[in-house]
Amino acid sequence: MQNNAKKISKMINTKDQEELLRLIADYIDSDVTCAAIGGTAMMFLGYKSTTKDIDLVFGTDGDRNVFIKAIEKLGYSKKSLKFIYNEHQIKDKNKPLLYSRGEERFDLFVKGVFGFEIDLSKIVQRHDFIGKKEITLLVLTKELLILLKSVTNREKDYEDIETIVKIEQNIDWNLIIGLAIQQRKNNSWILIDLEEKMKKLKTVTFIKQECFDKIYNAQRHSSKYTESKLTQNDVDEISEKIDSSVAKKLGLK
Amino acid sequence: MELKEGKYTVERIASDYNLSRQSALNLLSKLRKEGYVQTMGGGKQKRIYTVYKLPKMMQNGFYYIVNKYSKEKLVPQFEHYTYGNYTIEHAIIDGIKIGGTRTKEATKYLFNHVTNWKRLLNLAKKYNLKSKVLDLYADARNTIKCKTMPKRYLK
Repeated sequence: MQNNAKKISKMINTKDQEELLRLIADYIDSDVTCAAIGGTAMMFLGYKSTTKDIDLVFGTDGDRNVFIKAIEKLGYSKKSLKFIYNEHQIKDKNKPLLYSRGEERFDLFVKGVFGFEIDLSKIVQRHDFIGKKEITLLVLTKELLILLKSVTNREKDYEDIETIVKIEQNIDWNLIIGLAIQQRKNNSWILIDLEEKMKKLKTVTFIKQECFDKIYNAQRHSSKYTESKLTQNDVDEISEKIDSSVAKKLGLK
Repeated sequence: MELKEGKYTVERIASDYNLSRQSALNLLSKLRKEGYVQTMGGGKQKRIYTVYKLPKMMQNGFYYIVNKYSKEKLVPQFEHYTYGNYTIEHAIIDGIKIGGTRTKEATKYLFNHVTNWKRLLNLAKKYNLKSKVLDLYADARNTIKCKTMPKRYLK
């Protein structure tokens, strides 16, 4: 290899993704239903043309195991969650399983994404991949995608949210906040993550102040509720966050 | 060049975007290939172009089949795309699974286009819908002119 040659990270395009899923449909032992989230869903909805990984949420562990068996036959192997998700996410009970082959990667969740339970009845698209068995892939609404992107919180997730917001003018922020409030018991950071993303998005789009007020009210209410139930780990995490933000303000590294 | 979402004729695009008729046609043709434009009409009718913000694939699932063969048309509840061998028999099963009076009424017309009864009954058994398929078939036989199912499958 030439010294100055750079390693080009391969992205998955729409056609690759469809053909790959069609191929997997020939290798699974029983029919599988799952939902596409993240970049995969954005590709199906036309917001972007390539993605780094294929994110899927399965209804049951059984469905995920059937899918894993099939991709293992195709040469995919299990990978560590380190360097992709943060420590807080790695400890979560709803963490995904990662399988990769070369540069292609599957992030496979069950029922929910880091505590956010997914309702598979609210869909906008259905893709049936019919081989020897059938993979039914459901695509969720744009509002749910934005919320899930703010929960997963990886490097490119904010850019993806920005892409959706720039294209779509009619995003129902009240619905997004409502869903986040519903799920705050399963994921204590959801409102904080969402508010952080919404503040950043103010430079791109107009979001009403009443949306932020709703979040602050919900946060106040939940903090009263959980005040007495904080564990030592939670306290440590909060104090770490506060320390880092204070350090940033003071210009310290 | 970006076009605003909506319905257009060639003349309207030409005047709105200050193009010649031929340039407007070339632009629409390019966008249609990319999936941003769908066309309606042509021939005796005036051709109408629908422009979308995001590329749209041509649907080929349940709603496409039902609206092609059934007298009762349906507004899709979701966009349905299929890859592989999706047949009329699959569409009947999907119609029953989706449910709803209107959907079932529209699905009845698909029995006229069944070519493989064995596949239909096998799919019905797979999803535990055999009795529902037979009920819908009986209903179709009573209300519309409908193909006869071989007797061996009626048991």
